[in-house]
Amino acid sequence: MRRRDFIKDIALGSLVLNLKPALFAQKNFPNLGLIQGDNPALLTRKAVASLGGIERFVSRGDIVLIKPNIGWDRTPEQAACTNPQVVKTLVELSLEGGAKEVKVIDNPCNQAKRTYLRSGIAEAAKQAGAKVLFPNKHRLKKIPLNGEWLKEWPVFTEFIEVDKMINVPIAKTHSLSRLTLGMKNWLGALGGNRNQLHQSLDQAMIDLAAFFKPCLTLLDAYRILIRNGPQGGRLSDVKLYKTIVAGVDYVAVDALGATFFDIKPHDMPYLRLAHQKGHGEINLDKLNIEKRTV
Amino acid sequence: MKLTSISLTLKKERSKKYRLIQSLRILSQTIFLFLFFYLLLATHFTGEDYIGSVEIFFHFDPLLALATLIASRAVYISFVFAALTILITFILGRVVCGWVCPLGSVHQFFSFIFKKGKLLKPKDNADNRVAWKYYLLVFILVGTLFSLDLVGIFDPLSLLYRSFSVAVLPALSHGFEATLGLLYQINVAFLADSLNQLFENLTLNSTFRQGFFIGLIFLGLLLLNISKERFWCRYLCPLGAFLGLISRWNILKLKIDEQKCIECQLCNIHCETQASPFPEEKWKSPECVYCFTCSSICPTSAITFPVGSTPESIESVSLTRRKLVFSSLLSVVAVPFFRLTPSQERSSPKLIRPPGALPEAKFLQKCIKCGECMKVCPTNALQPALTETGPEGIWTPVLVPRIGYCEYYCSLCSQVCPTGAIRALTVTEKIKVKIGLAWVNKNRCIPYFLGTPCIVCEEHCPTSPKAIKLIKTEVTRPDGTIKTPAAPVINTDLCIGCGICETKCPVVDKPAIFVTSIGEDRSERNQLLLPLLKEDPEIFE
Repeated sequence: MRRRDFIKDIALGSLVLNLKPALFAQKNFPNLGLIQGDNPALLTRKAVASLGGIERFVSRGDIVLIKPNIGWDRTPEQAACTNPQVVKTLVELSLEGGAKEVKVIDNPCNQAKRTYLRSGIAEAAKQAGAKVLFPNKHRLKKIPLNGEWLKEWPVFTEFIEVDKMINVPIAKTHSLSRLTLGMKNWLGALGGNRNQLHQSLDQAMIDLAAFFKPCLTLLDAYRILIRNGPQGGRLSDVKLYKTIVAGVDYVAVDALGATFFDIKPHDMPYLRLAHQKGHGEINLDKLNIEKRTV
Repeated sequence: MKLTSISLTLKKERSKKYRLIQSLRILSQTIFLFLFFYLLLATHFTGEDYIGSVEIFFHFDPLLALATLIASRAVYISFVFAALTILITFILGRVVCGWVCPLGSVHQFFSFIFKKGKLLKPKDNADNRVAWKYYLLVFILVGTLFSLDLVGIFDPLSLLYRSFSVAVLPALSHGFEATLGLLYQINVAFLADSLNQLFENLTLNSTFRQGFFIGLIFLGLLLLNISKERFWCRYLCPLGAFLGLISRWNILKLKIDEQKCIECQLCNIHCETQASPFPEEKWKSPECVYCFTCSSICPTSAITFPVGSTPESIESVSLTRRKLVFSSLLSVVAVPFFRLTPSQERSSPKLIRPPGALPEAKFLQKCIKCGECMKVCPTNALQPALTETGPEGIWTPVLVPRIGYCEYYCSLCSQVCPTGAIRALTVTEKIKVKIGLAWVNKNRCIPYFLGTPCIVCEEHCPTSPKAIKLIKTEVTRPDGTIKTPAAPVINTDLCIGCGICETKCPVVDKPAIFVTSIGEDRSERNQLLLPLLKEDPEIFE
């Protein structure tokens, strides 16, 4: 090899290396998107966009499952269930991203039909083109979760038989886990005597979140329940917080969510434990958070 | 004409007009039966807080109207529709029995099936059992004078609705579930999924403690049609008896053309209700339900129902004065026996009534045990009572929290109650109504006796602020170690007794938290604390 060629090669090579991020779309996305503003639908869109857009999470032809919190027979103003506009926008986004089918499902605590209708989620999601499913006990199957504590549990098979899952919880207080954010939301995928999981709830949440591993977690903090959670009731239990957080690291999402209640992530036992076990980051200063107001 | 000359050719002489009327009657029965079942299935949460008049059938029932009026000594305005039934019966006779009554249609349908299946062979052997229903009517109405309201047990609409809401529909839904399971097994999940979602939308309750017995009674009544056509309508129905009594002056009277009549007795054999069309003088107008079977089956079109004809005499069922007096006396004697129960003196802890239920004495005077509330309850919580309130209250609704709970923002049971035994409530009114009080059984509560965290009851408590509060409590565990878990305590002021804590308590057999009726708003006596001692609820904020 001639020296001239060698230098040329080096130059070209370094050029290629330099351009690599742009060429192969290996952009450095922020860990979390924190979007604030008045319109829940717009917040949802911007939050997903901040992480690189829905195309990063949903591929053409995917069957996508969206898991909101539809736990309670409460209206959106009472902030016990995920904001219907947020769910609706996520359905729209998934379909725009090329999803073949979007399913919306939760196993509520109150009577299913009442929660689905009164939360406004069934109608909103249907409008956007999702298939809204009541939990169906024929579809419960004991699934090996291979968690540290939970080895197996009856799970609605819809959660197993999809390509992608998006977790879209609402931020609320909870007397046992202090807060119910993303990781607690997975109890809604279970059947059986799931109330027994409260006997070691923190560990259950960690095992469940690791098992279900959503491709995206979107925390609805448009209205947050600061008192009397996880159901609330009075409008004075609700705080208009006008925020949505998006992230792939579900531990980080919950860690940021905790701060909305003036709780340090390190003061949340389940987050501390999840971090220790290497499920995600809870040191907010180590996270690249894109903050925007729209 | 002689009897022997009946032949197939005579069939041509059957009255086309009355065969058409008979078809119209069957059409009318079908329509009303479907309407009844449609309203039955529509009695569920549809997404709105308020439900339409799905209980409207009951308001056309003059027996329910009269019995409720006498027993409760109060006018319930919705029963004005019953006046229409009375008017129709007054003018046209018991057409309501033959053309409208859904239970009558069900019985007629089964009679038809049994006839086709050769299980029932109609005979012309008139007997005086038709009098039974009049004695039963007297028994019921005399009881109402003493506010003993047993009408709901025997009223045909109550009986049919209860049988369907508590037994038939739940049984069907079990069958449906089994079919779904099968569909999943043979891998037609797509179909099964859609069916399941449809089914979920109907919110059919499938668990009823007395479903078996109520179903058995209904089945028994259906099977009685093997012995006699429309056995129930013929011998037992007190509403039929009531309508019979007011129908004797009606304008539709049977007439037999003696020139045409061949005395073949077909009319008597096939009369649905033993009204004995032949001979004309023996026809019992109050027994006739105007099914027009006789006039359409008559091989010579001899039987007609001309408007306004006035027969010389009206034959009635022979009721003996002795037996009428006897059934009245029986009723009078029965009243105290129905009240030998301890619930007269002391409220039963398990007698948790739906929100809006009137004070117990008033409630029993009004409740017709129809099962509307049990059908509409979204959580299957309302169950037919057996012993909770004595024999008088059998099949009245009680809330059984181990089966279901009172959904906080739901007041549907109070809206569908046809008699106002459960006062109609708005949702805002309803959430303030206390139907009982929750108690913690510390010997079974997981935090209290094992020191293990739980909080499920507190999490589900729907009031704000929550009536269940968690307090750090020092617990000596079975191994001697000491823990301080958060354990539930009840705020007696805030608890409304909805029972969701008991439903959801993870101690699945006998719950560690349970609701009893004490503290219920509707009772003055069944209270825990004097108002003076009540604590300030604000401390739980």
